[in-house]
Amino acid sequence: MAAQTQKPAPLERAAQGVPIIEIEGLGKTFAIDTGPVVALESVDLTIRKGEFVSFVGPSGCGKSTLLNMVAGLLPASGGQAMLNGDVIEEPSRKVGFMFQTAVLLPWRTVEQNVLMPAEVFGTKNEATRQKARKVLEAVGLGDFTDAYPRQLSGGMQQRVSLARTLTYEPDVLLMDEPFGALDEFTREAMNLELMRITQAAGITVLFVTHNISEAVFMADRVVIMTPRPGKVSGVIDIDFPRPRVIEQMQSQKFTDLIFQVRGILGHGQDNSS
Amino acid sequence: MAKITAVEAEPVKTVSPYTNPNQELRYKLYTIGILLAIVAAWEMAPRLGLVSPIILPSFSAVIGALITLLQQDFFLRHFTVTLTEIVIGFILGTAIGLSIGIALAVWPTAKRIAYPLVVGFQAIPKIVFAPLFIAWFGFGMSSKVVMAVVISFFPVLINTLVGLESVPEDARRLMRSIKATPLQTFRKVSLPHALPVIFAGIKAALTFAVIGAIVGEFVGASEGLGYLVELYKNQLRIDRVFAVIVILATIGAGGYFLLEWLDRKLIFWRDDSESK
Ligand SMILES: Nc1ncnc2c1ncn2[C@@H]1O[C@H](COP(=O)(O)OP(=O)(O)OP(=O)(O)O)[C@@H](O)[C@H]1O
Ligand SMILES: [Mg+2]
Repeated sequence: MAAQTQKPAPLERAAQGVPIIEIEGLGKTFAIDTGPVVALESVDLTIRKGEFVSFVGPSGCGKSTLLNMVAGLLPASGGQAMLNGDVIEEPSRKVGFMFQTAVLLPWRTVEQNVLMPAEVFGTKNEATRQKARKVLEAVGLGDFTDAYPRQLSGGMQQRVSLARTLTYEPDVLLMDEPFGALDEFTREAMNLELMRITQAAGITVLFVTHNISEAVFMADRVVIMTPRPGKVSGVIDIDFPRPRVIEQMQSQKFTDLIFQVRGILGHGQDNSS
Repeated sequence: MAKITAVEAEPVKTVSPYTNPNQELRYKLYTIGILLAIVAAWEMAPRLGLVSPIILPSFSAVIGALITLLQQDFFLRHFTVTLTEIVIGFILGTAIGLSIGIALAVWPTAKRIAYPLVVGFQAIPKIVFAPLFIAWFGFGMSSKVVMAVVISFFPVLINTLVGLESVPEDARRLMRSIKATPLQTFRKVSLPHALPVIFAGIKAALTFAVIGAIVGEFVGASEGLGYLVELYKNQLRIDRVFAVIVILATIGAGGYFLLEWLDRKLIFWRDDSESK
């Protein structure tokens, strides 16, 4: 995307110390018929501005629960999450959320879908229209602004979903297995594009995935979570230089990092750095 | 809680890549062929003496009766009465079904309280109300309109409810994440999403409205096409009975095609709706 944002110039990711999301003792217990279910045990985590943080872990370890609480979509049962120093109590327009499905409205064209948030905010005007077109251009859909979702492939639909989020310029992007339903090739391409775009715009990303190598490849830090009860079992720093290239995945260091993550996942205890 | 499923949405007529236009044409010819065979059998059966022409007049006799009927002055009055009952009953029934369906969908407490009542009401074969409505609302059009409303609102209600409740969870989450108001979510997401299902209910409502009006007229009326059917039956003018049936079928089919056309105009994204 053209770096026409007013955000700080793309500095080295994670190098900047300014915290944007601070999670303190954040936990969630669901009360269901059979008794309480601890979905997430007390989590402490600080995420810095512009940082790309991956969350990996098996099904049921509380990844979605954590993201939903940071999004302000789910109340915490203990602790708190803060955005720019303010406790998160409701959704914020500074935070964009992307799901595993593209969630496009089939009766709207690509451009109308991308402009839907602007309609909700009451900011739909020529400027946002231009912005939408620019972002669609950036995600490679410049020629498809008037197409309907059914005319697009799964990967293209997710691009529209990404464009819809980027158009309202969130500071933080929450992604819950956004490309999980896509094939390997498309997913890799989308990952590279996502890193390029969010880095250029200085967007902080919280990226949930089941895929360990994807988590390591993309992130500045990988948060490893384990289930029953859901908790954070380790955090690993990834100091590969950016921009990331596929070749980095062939290095010994990459393999070592994968093993390190696997180790933590296997033991379910904190033995990380 | 009892569960009632929505009226199935009509399958969309899309051009399948596996059937070429030639084949399509062949199917159409088969349809017409079957129709012609039925008409031929109908024409021949009374002529060959297989059935008495008093019980089943030949096809040509029915067409003859139809043409005579259409030329009578009194016919237009009866036609207009029934058509008015159907149209008013259908519109009111649809409006009531839509309103209650929306109310139950957006207000969970109301649904909890009222849904069992609605389902219980649907379990009653509402035809039995017809004599009662005549007693309450008289021999005129109003009792038939009420009958049409009472049996036509339900498919709209249930399809509206089911359609609005089938909005995917992720779409709701998306709207919440951008702080959309409930009204914005309803207008931009839920209602359009539910529209194909609602429309299937509306099409069913039209059929029911026709039935309601005719049943009302059977039970007690001094005018209308249902009244004519009764009258001609008693006079043993079966050719005219059939002629009125042809007219009723035409009303039903005409309304249906009108709705079908509106449906396609309105819901142009239809073939996509279940994959999203
Ligand atoms: N609304 C809810 N009510 C009750 N329990 C819930 C609810 N949501 C989540 N849970 C439970 O909380 C735990 C964590 O769920 P969560 O969806 O956060 O896991 P996840 O890591 O996202 O899993 P996946 O990888 O399958 O998406 C699970 O045991 C789940 O059953
Ligand atoms: Mg999840």
